[in-house]
Amino acid sequence: MTSWLDRLRIWLSGSRRAPIAVSPSSLAILGRQIATTQEVEYACDDVYRLLDQFAEAVSRGDDTAPWMPLIRAHLDRCPDCRAEFEALMQALRSPES
Amino acid sequence: MDLGDTLEPALPLGVLQSAQRGVWRLMSSQRSRDNAEWISALTSTGQAQEAALADLREILVSGLRRGLAAWLEPHSPQLVSLAEETTQEALVRILAKLDTFEGRSRFTTWAYKVAIRIALTELRRKQWQDVSLDGMLEPGREEGREASVLDPQAGPEATVEQRDMLALVGRILQEELTERQLAMMQAVALRGVPMEALAQKLGIERNALYKMMHDARLKLKRRLAREGLELGDVTATFEGSNTSGGRVVKGERT
Repeated sequence: MTSWLDRLRIWLSGSRRAPIAVSPSSLAILGRQIATTQEVEYACDDVYRLLDQFAEAVSRGDDTAPWMPLIRAHLDRCPDCRAEFEALMQALRSPES
Repeated sequence: MDLGDTLEPALPLGVLQSAQRGVWRLMSSQRSRDNAEWISALTSTGQAQEAALADLREILVSGLRRGLAAWLEPHSPQLVSLAEETTQEALVRILAKLDTFEGRSRFTTWAYKVAIRIALTELRRKQWQDVSLDGMLEPGREEGREASVLDPQAGPEATVEQRDMLALVGRILQEELTERQLAMMQAVALRGVPMEALAQKLGIERNALYKMMHDARLKLKRRLAREGLELGDVTATFEGSNTSGGRVVKGERT
């Protein structure tokens, strides 16, 4: 059975186009992002609408995985929304804590 | 709007709530209101509305100072000024959008969310206003120094397997994306360019930009699948590689 690496080498040897010059570390990060892309993802507006509810659930220590996986996945991928979530979590803390 | 459908009932003044993982305390305000009381007061007129606005203003300023501490030095004039200005704008927006509050959280949490969106949008605008679109999309110096994908003199630390994978992924990127699409992905994922800032330069909404990038990633993923590559093959190849992508580079405290 041909391994994936062998299939890769066969495919590469048959190609005549020069691939794009992107640094290895860049491709490593982009490759992971691409590989973990889901067919259905929440966009920023979807997450914003639920962010207050989600932040309170997290602050209570609720297990949010079962009922808000799409929000978690978006926050892992979107630095802008993640920044807003982190700021909201800080805002929810009392001055005494 | 279902004000009764909150996650938990209103708490009396000064009551603390703790969770098993970490301790989070509710804000105690000088005048504690439940969601219905907030909405009622803010939609009223006269003294009741003024009192509610004053209390909400105090809550938002205090919350913004905590929330923005990762971006600006606590107690700095910049933070104080941003918190005050943002709160003014937030109060106007909150009053205008009261009918969009769904009652699924505490009203103050929802109000914080509105204020934080305004504040961070303004911070990002200021930080990137002097950077052109081309400047945002330009590769960083570190990326330029690293070995190119097909460089036969690539560094010895790159295994044959990694180099083959890099060549494949690079070829797929070239064939499936335009140069500009790839530059946008790199800008956001690798150099911490905020999507908000990039979207502003492109003249589109951040939500639309996210959807465009999702479509591009999905296209690439399907192409990888057609080439017979599994998720584990790609990610396992680069285990131990640089994982600092996405870190904000212009968000340090000023």
